[in-house]
Amino acid sequence: MNRIWALVKMDLRNSFRLSAFKEKIKNREDIVHIIIVIVALLSLLPTYYLLVSGLSNIYDIYLNIGQKSMFLLTGILLSQMIVLFFGILYVMSKYYFSSDLNILVPLPLRPKEIVGAKFVSLLVYEYITVLPILLPFIIIYGIKTDVNILYWLYSLATIFFVPIIPLCISSILVMFFMRYTNIGGRKDLLRTIGYIILIIVLIVFQLKLQSISQRAIVDEDFLYKLITDSTILVRSLGIVFPPSMWAALSLSNLSDISGLLYILLFVAVSILIFFIMLFLSDRVFFKGLIGNLEVSTSGKGAEVRLEDFQRSSLPYVAIAMKEIKMLIRTPVYLMNSIGGVIIVPIVMILPFFMGDQESINLLRNLLKNNQQLVNLIGVGFITLLGIVNNVCSTTFSREGKNMWIQRTLPIDPRDQIKGRILSSIIVQTVGIIVLYGSLAYLGALTLEGIFIIGILGILGSIPTGEIGMIVDAYRPLLHWDNPQRAMKQNLNVLISMGIGALYILGIGLLAYKLMDIINIFVIYIIIALIFILSSLILYRGLKKVIEMTLANLE
Amino acid sequence: MLKLENLSKSYGKGEIKAVDNISLEVRPGEIFGFLGPNGAGKTTTIKMIVGLLRPDNGRIYLDNIDVWEDPLKAKSKISFVPDTPQVYDKLKGIEYLNFIADIYGIPADLRQERIEKYLDIFQLRHAIGDIIGSYSHGMRQKLVLISALINDPKLFILDEPMVGLDPKSSYNLKEIMREKCNEGKIVFFSTHVLEVAEKLCDRIAIINKGKIIALGTMDELRQHSKEKESLENIFLELTENE
Ligand SMILES: Nc1ncnc2c1ncn2[C@@H]1O[C@H](COP(=O)(O)OP(=O)(O)OP(=O)(O)O)[C@@H](O)[C@H]1O
Ligand SMILES: [Mg+2]
Repeated sequence: MNRIWALVKMDLRNSFRLSAFKEKIKNREDIVHIIIVIVALLSLLPTYYLLVSGLSNIYDIYLNIGQKSMFLLTGILLSQMIVLFFGILYVMSKYYFSSDLNILVPLPLRPKEIVGAKFVSLLVYEYITVLPILLPFIIIYGIKTDVNILYWLYSLATIFFVPIIPLCISSILVMFFMRYTNIGGRKDLLRTIGYIILIIVLIVFQLKLQSISQRAIVDEDFLYKLITDSTILVRSLGIVFPPSMWAALSLSNLSDISGLLYILLFVAVSILIFFIMLFLSDRVFFKGLIGNLEVSTSGKGAEVRLEDFQRSSLPYVAIAMKEIKMLIRTPVYLMNSIGGVIIVPIVMILPFFMGDQESINLLRNLLKNNQQLVNLIGVGFITLLGIVNNVCSTTFSREGKNMWIQRTLPIDPRDQIKGRILSSIIVQTVGIIVLYGSLAYLGALTLEGIFIIGILGILGSIPTGEIGMIVDAYRPLLHWDNPQRAMKQNLNVLISMGIGALYILGIGLLAYKLMDIINIFVIYIIIALIFILSSLILYRGLKKVIEMTLANLE
Repeated sequence: MLKLENLSKSYGKGEIKAVDNISLEVRPGEIFGFLGPNGAGKTTTIKMIVGLLRPDNGRIYLDNIDVWEDPLKAKSKISFVPDTPQVYDKLKGIEYLNFIADIYGIPADLRQERIEKYLDIFQLRHAIGDIIGSYSHGMRQKLVLISALINDPKLFILDEPMVGLDPKSSYNLKEIMREKCNEGKIVFFSTHVLEVAEKLCDRIAIINKGKIIALGTMDELRQHSKEKESLENIFLELTENE
């Protein structure tokens, strides 16, 4: 345990010294820089505020049906699911692709010591992720309900233990996953496909459980139970993920001993699973790791085809192709970017896919009668993916130690922008195709839809990509030790999402207001014009930022 | 011509001057050696020339182009080989070379000719279809060298280029450096290998604690020193008494 602790301390010191939060203050410009970053972070607030005030309404709805404990379950379940799903990539990157492994593995350390240390340092990040989600639930419930000190004590324990079980589950899943995909030369591809399947299976599993538990409660005396038992919903729906249920039940049963028992159960199971995870890590961790660092070589080297020398392309095409190759060949990047644009559209239709025929038909009719709305939402969705795919908002951060190449070559900033935007558009194209597939499955894909979503979606991905790139060019995170740090564990992603969400929200609102007034085709044209105009404006700003950053980095 | 004027740079809060008011000129057709103990400021100076570190003070001109005023134009005349060969390890060797050639806009036939020539000189042809991640340190070093030579630069600037190269490649590199300077190019490199500097360089600068303490041809350096024999003696004498 002591050694784990020493490793954790080293890891945290390392991570946070290199971290995004560290800004050097040397002169006035640095202060301006920090202020701009803070203002950019504030751009997240409107969206966050919107979400939190929505929560308050949800509380009232649950209160009205006498099931306010459901509110807690929602928050805890949401937090734990986010840790579980996002944890998979964090864990994979941190356990298997981080640069300190070259130092740690040769040291006389047991696998469980390495894994334990990495787990604890990941946990710190998970708290940062979970707090903004869970705290509003806990605070709203605490204020609106008559609670005593016990509530806040149990809450503290809940918050502390909330990420542990899901992160242990991700760790175990990933360790077995890596262990059994550690074969042959094509393991990167195998792992990416496996990852996409794993995520979809996990979600399908969740939905299946949900529909079973929903069916179970809708019997004759359901209404009667609803009135007499204030935790019936939690106990029925919480089956999806029992630990969340325990925590919710403990926080809502303050007055009797069951509250205490549930929190003890929650804590005990968390600790137990942690030790199971450590136990398993001793057996499987190295088996997935060793051989990972090996790169397959052709062996028959002399046969390099001479035509390979002769390809020549424009600088921005060269940059785009380089970006795409790096994305595709780095598993963590691939899973975040292309994996993301494939998974999100599929997950959206999964609930319908699993639902009964009747509700699907209902939905199909609904969509058919609102084709224009479907198209507009599709455009908004693709435009949003332009940020969520992370390609632009981490494009300079991903250069990492290779940044010197970009800085010493004579590359026109215009080519940098065009090339990197192009790489994002290539990824977006994959997302658009998957969205077409999803819509087609719902019977909501028309020829018009194909054109509108395709064209406006790509046009819209340009300004959102540029927003992400401005943020990333302004403060690239170049010193990272595992690839996930450059991707999702990068503050730039969050800032870009905040600004991008505002941008899309604004356009969406405008389109919504115009819907009843003017012809839909005029709206399409207006949106296209906004996209083009904002691209051009952002382009000029971006050019300045790139010039400045490439010259001034140290 | 490469001209450094009153160049200064300090790191962090500005307490230590890594480079302190350096001025020097390197003429076309010259091989210029940059020597000095660890931490003397060699890498810092080189980084300022190639655009990786903005100088606190002073100017750098290459053929009368201010490197920091017109970076694109200057960079298209410079090839840089850093002290650690850090490159995109997910690209294949040939893909990296093609990327560099695309950026410099080298036409296909010319790039093929140059790539083939240097691949053969550095005996890297067999690995060129492999992912760079599978290369040894020396192989990466060679790849970076080749990528720097594709452009046929006006200024060829190398930071400790011999480190990690096998004797044959090291010899070939010296030949190439000489060939470049015969073509009227400028070769500027830092090294700790004094014999190399002594044999190869037309002129030498010795830098210590950010200041140039000696500058000139071997003969000129000898005159500054009591022990008039090898560069090693001169170097030790000059850098010792501080
Ligand atoms: N990134 C940095 N941050 C802070 N100080 C630095 C940094 N890089 C170099 N220095 C300092 O600047 C001085 C000069 O370093 P430089 O790397 O230029 O030396 P060098 O002559 O290349 O040495 P070597 O022969 O070891 O390569 C040293 O005192 C060093 O500590
Ligand atoms: Mg150095």
